[in-house]
Amino acid sequence: MVKQMEERHSVWIRFCHWVNMISITLLILTGYYIHAPHTFRLFSNMDTPRTLHFAMAYLLCFGVLIRVYYAIVAKDTKNIVFSVKEDTPKFPSMIKYYLFMADSHPYYGKYNPGQKMMYTGWLVMVLIQIITGFILYKPNMFMALGGFLGGYMAVRLIHYIVTWLFVLSVLAHVYLDISEGVPVLKSMFTGKIPADFDHGTHEEEIETDTGVGA
Amino acid sequence: MPTKLSRRDFVRLCAGSAAAISMTGFLAPYMSEAVAAGAPPVIWIQGASCTGCSISLLNTVHPDIKKVLTEVISLRYHPNIMAAAGDLAMQEMFKVAEENKGNFFLVVEGAVPTGADGLYCTVGEEDGHHITFEKLVTTIGKKSKAILSFGTCSAFGGIPATPPNPTNCKAVDQVVKDVPVINVPGCPPHPDWMVGTIAHVLLYGIPEMDTFGRPKMFFSNIIHDNCERRQYFDNGIFAKTFGEPGCMLELGCKGPIAHCDASTRLFNGGVNWCVKSGGVCIGCTEPQFPAWPMYERMAEMPVGPATTVTVDQVGIVLGGLAVAGIGGHLVGNIATGRIGSKKEDVEKEGDS
Ligand code: SF4
Ligand code: SF4
Repeated sequence: MVKQMEERHSVWIRFCHWVNMISITLLILTGYYIHAPHTFRLFSNMDTPRTLHFAMAYLLCFGVLIRVYYAIVAKDTKNIVFSVKEDTPKFPSMIKYYLFMADSHPYYGKYNPGQKMMYTGWLVMVLIQIITGFILYKPNMFMALGGFLGGYMAVRLIHYIVTWLFVLSVLAHVYLDISEGVPVLKSMFTGKIPADFDHGTHEEEIETDTGVGA
Repeated sequence: MPTKLSRRDFVRLCAGSAAAISMTGFLAPYMSEAVAAGAPPVIWIQGASCTGCSISLLNTVHPDIKKVLTEVISLRYHPNIMAAAGDLAMQEMFKVAEENKGNFFLVVEGAVPTGADGLYCTVGEEDGHHITFEKLVTTIGKKSKAILSFGTCSAFGGIPATPPNPTNCKAVDQVVKDVPVINVPGCPPHPDWMVGTIAHVLLYGIPEMDTFGRPKMFFSNIIHDNCERRQYFDNGIFAKTFGEPGCMLELGCKGPIAHCDASTRLFNGGVNWCVKSGGVCIGCTEPQFPAWPMYERMAEMPVGPATTVTVDQVGIVLGGLAVAGIGGHLVGNIATGRIGSKKEDVEKEGDS
């Protein structure tokens, strides 16, 4: 029987997702080699990773630009931008669900507040990386900005710390999305998700659910 | 004797002069001509410094420093090399400053201690009272045409201003506000940078400067881009100990963040420079110098009183926590049947 599918990710979202995934992964790998060529022997010279790092930096700028433009034009912002007022109250139920204190969670929209927070945080982190990265890449062009941020050494440190934040948050992202179910992972390739996929329980259902459970 | 050298040629000469050409030697005739024609005098004062910048200036080898000081620059006061001392010297300095008001150049070597009303550094007497360096810099500085801050201490604070900075040392341009200040950093600066800057102000006025007030003719390149060990860097060959061939990056070289031309100009009369001699670049011309570990790649992060950790340590701990969290959650997921075979059973039951 053919499963009934519904649209989850538009082609633009998928395109940006994989472009950014490729650039960020390569940026992290090349970046770590540039930081510690002795410990992290992924490349055999400095030329390749540096060229790759700068090329991927431009690709990331491009991917982020398209993603932000798309989010605004397609009104996708409400799905991914964390709103302190609306999303914070949803946190307790989500944390309960993740800590196995509840069996289901209410329907949050396309993404739960934790995911929204992560995606919004990524935008901020990407901007920090782009700015600090360019300061280090073109130290003469952005001298004033570098000085404002506390000098090149501070800029280096910021760039490096945020890289670690990326590594950790990507780890969490990959795990949480896969553990939500293979269909979620698949949907980032095909754009579609089974219509009956469990996105959380709607308000009314929770009441009946708890009624039955108790 | 040549009579005209255009500013453009001058800057090209300063920026490009390789070790083989003695920049000072080439400039000397032009400068002595200017001085003979009545170029502004220069007063050199020292505050919280080690005199290293003056020593570096004395390394001007061609023409020898004696000629530079007597013929090339009209130097009217210098604490170390003038013959006069005491009241005589002080009076002369004040007289020169007063007579040439708005038309002399003040060279400042060393940071300005401002703690305790500047009492950490007194430099002479006026009418039987101590003059603090802070007061001297402000009063004389205000009368000068421009201040030349020689050395990282006077330009950016340098070593005396490094935290905890008990004497509250400051850079000259933080103390004297309404006079143009040219920063010639370096710990110490190359004699060419000092003589070249003096020559520029005498012959053509204030040179073109970057964001931090450094003359562009000397400080517009990153050391890393002109380093003879750069090929090692590009090929991924890194020295693990001093004395090995290879790029010094892993031993703490700050070449990638330091603006200076030592690699093409060479110190000690064209003999050597920081990396060529087997050391690392310590980034001595940068405003934050020396607020970083000289022999480590990256500074550590402060996490508490007198405790620092490397970013890698933080990353590894957080990474460990993340992996533990994910592992725990995975176990929970399987136990509660959110993933794995149980889930499908539940779903099927629900569906039916
Ligand atoms: S030794 Fe320093 S300046 Fe030279 S290539 Fe290596 S990092 Fe760059
Ligand atoms: S190479 Fe580095 S340490 Fe040497 S003078 Fe230049 S900035 Fe200072």
